[in-house]
This record gives sequence, structure tokens and C-alpha cells, in this order.
Amino acid sequence: MDLIQRLALCVERGKVDRNFPYPPDMKDSDGASELTTLLLETGESANSILKRGLMVGMDTVGAKFANGQAFIPELLVAAKAMNAAMVHLKPYFESGEAKHRGSIVIGTIQGDLHDIGKNIVGMVLKGAGWNVIDLGSNVSADKFITALRDNNCKLAALSALLTTTMLNMESVVGEIKGAITGSMVFIGGAPLSNEFSDKIDADGYFPDPHTFSKYLSTLNT
Amino acid sequence: MPQTPREIVTRCLSFKKPERVPRDLWVLPYAQTHFPEDVGNIERDFPNDIIKPDYEYPASPIVRGERYAVGYCTDAWGCEFKNIQAGIIGEVETPIIRDISDWKSVRPPYEQIPDNTAGPYENINRFCANTDKFVIANCCPRPWERYQFLRGSENALIDMMMPDYGARDLIKAIHDFYLKEFEFWVKTDVDAIWFMDDWGAQNQLLINPEIWRELFKPLYKDYCDLAAANDKFIMMHTDGHVTEIFADLIEVGLDAINSQLFCMDISELAKIGKGKITFWGEIDRQHILPSADVQKGRDAVQKVASHLYDPSGGVIAQFEFGLGMKPEMAVAVLEEWGRIK
Repeated sequence: MDLIQRLALCVERGKVDRNFPYPPDMKDSDGASELTTLLLETGESANSILKRGLMVGMDTVGAKFANGQAFIPELLVAAKAMNAAMVHLKPYFESGEAKHRGSIVIGTIQGDLHDIGKNIVGMVLKGAGWNVIDLGSNVSADKFITALRDNNCKLAALSALLTTTMLNMESVVGEIKGAITGSMVFIGGAPLSNEFSDKIDADGYFPDPHTFSKYLSTLNT
Repeated sequence: MPQTPREIVTRCLSFKKPERVPRDLWVLPYAQTHFPEDVGNIERDFPNDIIKPDYEYPASPIVRGERYAVGYCTDAWGCEFKNIQAGIIGEVETPIIRDISDWKSVRPPYEQIPDNTAGPYENINRFCANTDKFVIANCCPRPWERYQFLRGSENALIDMMMPDYGARDLIKAIHDFYLKEFEFWVKTDVDAIWFMDDWGAQNQLLINPEIWRELFKPLYKDYCDLAAANDKFIMMHTDGHVTEIFADLIEVGLDAINSQLFCMDISELAKIGKGKITFWGEIDRQHILPSADVQKGRDAVQKVASHLYDPSGGVIAQFEFGLGMKPEMAVAVLEEWGRIK
């Protein structure tokens, strides 16, 4: 197994760095952080590390999650490993040497403080190469619109957990679409459905982050 | 001679032919705030068969704010919640155990459990003696949720992947407190004790079921054993898709489970649990109960009954009157349950 395959495995399994105690069968071995440094030192490009290492690892664990073979903690440790690697890649993205697949603004809808689902989506999308602008929870339409404009972005994803706050989505979707020509607004969260997405004129409901990520990869951004 | 509400619930839980399906409507603060008159009418026309004693623990000096009000509040464990919507419980913004190695800093509110039980027991037992309803303890241990409140949800979930670095210790500290709390209640005359932990996401369990079996199933078995040793029924609430652990929950000795039936395949749940455990509700509160179409509520009752009802018992007509729901729906659901025979 070469270095980049090892990196993909570390992300998939959630091996953050050498000191991280999980998973037990990878104890005392290098993690995503050390392997990323090594790869950069050997001349591997940041783009290649992202695409052939981090994205492969996150895609594998995301697919397992979507199939019921992995659970939220596995996704979280994988994202932790990916973030440890991304720290080393950040300067390359800032200089323009490495490029994101595109940008997306995410947030939990106004009136709702529940953010774990939204956070997991953000982690998976980062792992899929997206620049994720996370506005947090209790986010108004104005904040979404401002962030989309500031980042020259057309994609937004809204999350809701409560049956009452999901009702706020209709106006927020309408306001974003009215303000940003060509924008696409996606929704996710426990009480939502395809029918609700159609009803409020959103551009799609996704039941899990992997399915959403796969869909986004088909868009021409 | 008609059965009393206590007999109806007891017979339901014991599969000894209650004369009707017991009722247990959970009126959330949202409904009480928005529909006080309707709530009063519903409680008059469809009285609950299950009630809690009015005993409250002594006030904790660290409790601050109102639990269901907009703003911040702090509970007896020191966890601070932020709430932006009246009528529901808020979210922990900053967990008090930021590093799991600091688990020893947890301070369970043992001071709330009376050392001198004579007075409290007299009050609680008088309450039980003066009602013909089924009385359930006014306490609700929640070891996993408490763990999340103390650590924050994301940290808590990650901790489950490596429990040997403090998570087991923190779980034990929480569990020890809840056992003590249950030990207080099982010595009273209440009919049942109960606890809760939300274990399901929308489509699957939150954590790997094998990890759950290792870390949490034994705790629940302790609670069930304690209840059985003191001739109490024991009931549990758990939200989300919990099919994978449903058989385990029956195995540990629960008498009733309150779960989100409509997140799961009800026919599959029937295969796992019908005749072995009582299905303590519910009706779908994500899609059906907030609907303006009361027929959907009636159809949902018929769906639950067709899979789970048996004249010998095993079903309680429980549902929430909560967020986004109209009083007409609560009435329709209760009326429909009244037709199930």
C-alpha cells in the first residue's frame, strides 16, 4: 500500500494522527496528519492528496454510512482525520495552488439550534473537496443571501430538525432564489422528505450526506 | 364492575385483558401555552390513565432560568442550555466536560435525593393511595442524553469509539447517580419507574449496536432488575430508528417502550415485540400529528392497531400534543383509539 492509499485508509478509519488512540488496530502508526506531511515532502501535490487520499477515504466511509454499515461516530472520526490533513493543505488552497471543487453555504434554519446533522454534512462535503461556508444554526434568509453573495456562490443547503422550524424553510428558499439568480437550495433533516422539498420549491432533499455529496458532484459548478 | 385506570394499565402491561386501550396523552408546554382551553377540554373528555405524583426534588442552588423558556438555563448537573423557541428544551452550547480526561469533574446532584425519606415517601404514597390512576415515578434517568449534555453531542459520539479513555468512567458516574435515584423511587408506592435515551437517527441507530450493547445495555438491565426486585413496572422512551436494539430492550426486562413507531417498519416491530412488550405509543409527530387533516391521525391509529393491538394488552394510546399540532388532531386520535376493541 503506497502512502496515499494509507492516507485514504486513515481517513476512512478515523486515524487522526500517531497519538490518536483510535482505531486500536492502528495504534502507534502514522495518521492522516503525518502522512499528509510526508506526501507533501515527497512532492505530491495538494490537489492529488485531496482527490486520491482524503476524498477516497471520506467517500468510502460515507458510502458505508449510507448503506447502514457505519454510524455517525465513524463519520465523525473520519472527518476529524480529514481535518487534521486539511490543516497541512490549507496554505495551498489559500495560494490558489490547490482548488476546491466549488463552494456551498450551509446552515440550520432560523429558529432551530440543532446542528449536528448540518455539521456532519459539512464534514462530508469538505471531504469531497468542497469549500464549505458554515453559517451555524438559527440562520436567517438574509445571512444566507449575504454569504452567497460574499463568496460568489450559488449553492446553499438548509437543515432543520423540528417540525415547526422546517416550515421556515419555504420562505427562506423563496428569498434566496429571489435574491440570487441561478441559485440552488437543498434541504435535509429528520422530518423532511422529497414531497416537502417539492412543495417548497427546493432543489432537492437528501436523506444522508453521502447521497448529497454524490449529487453535488454531478453539478457543473 | 368497571376496571380502574390503574387496573387498565396494569392489565395492559401484563397482557391480562384491559377493558379498553389505556390513554396517555403527553401535553407539551407548547400546547399548554398555545391551547390552554382546548387542553383542559381534552383532559376532561379523555382523561389520562397514567399520572405522575406531584413530588418535586428540593430546589438545587445551581439551577438557573426556566427550562422551557427562551434564553439560557442551567440544570442541577451544571449543564447550560440555550433555547430560542418557547415550549421546548434548548441545546447545550458549551459542554462542561470539554476533555474526557476531566470526567472526574462531573458533579451528579446527589443532594437532590433526600437522605431522610420519611417525608417524601409519605407525600408520594399518599398521592398514590388517593388516586385510582396508574402512577409513574416523577423522575427520568437518561444516561446517554446526560452524557451528551455533559460532553456535547459530537464529543459524546466520538467518545463511544474509544470508551477506555474516560467515557466508561463518566458513564459509570452518571449511572451510579441514576441507580441511586431509582433506589429512592422503587421504595415508594408508585406503580412504575421509567427512563429515557434517544438512540435512533431517522433511519438507523446513532451508534454501532455492538457498542451500545457493551456500554449501555447493561445499565438498562440494572434498572430493570431493580424494578423487578421491587415489584415495579419499568418503561422506557427512546426516539428514532431503534429496530436494531428493540429485541435487546425486551431482553433486559422492560415492560413498555415508547418509540417513534413511524420511523420504523411497524410490521417488523410487531414480529419482534408483539405479545412480549407493551408498545407505549406513539403516533408520528413528524408528519402526521402536525397535519391539518385529522383523517391522517385516525388512519395512523388504525395502522398501529392493525399491527400491534391485541385484546389481551400490549398497546397504550400514547402520543404527544406538541409543536405545530392542533387540538382537533388530538381529539381525533383519542376518539379513534376509543374505537379500537
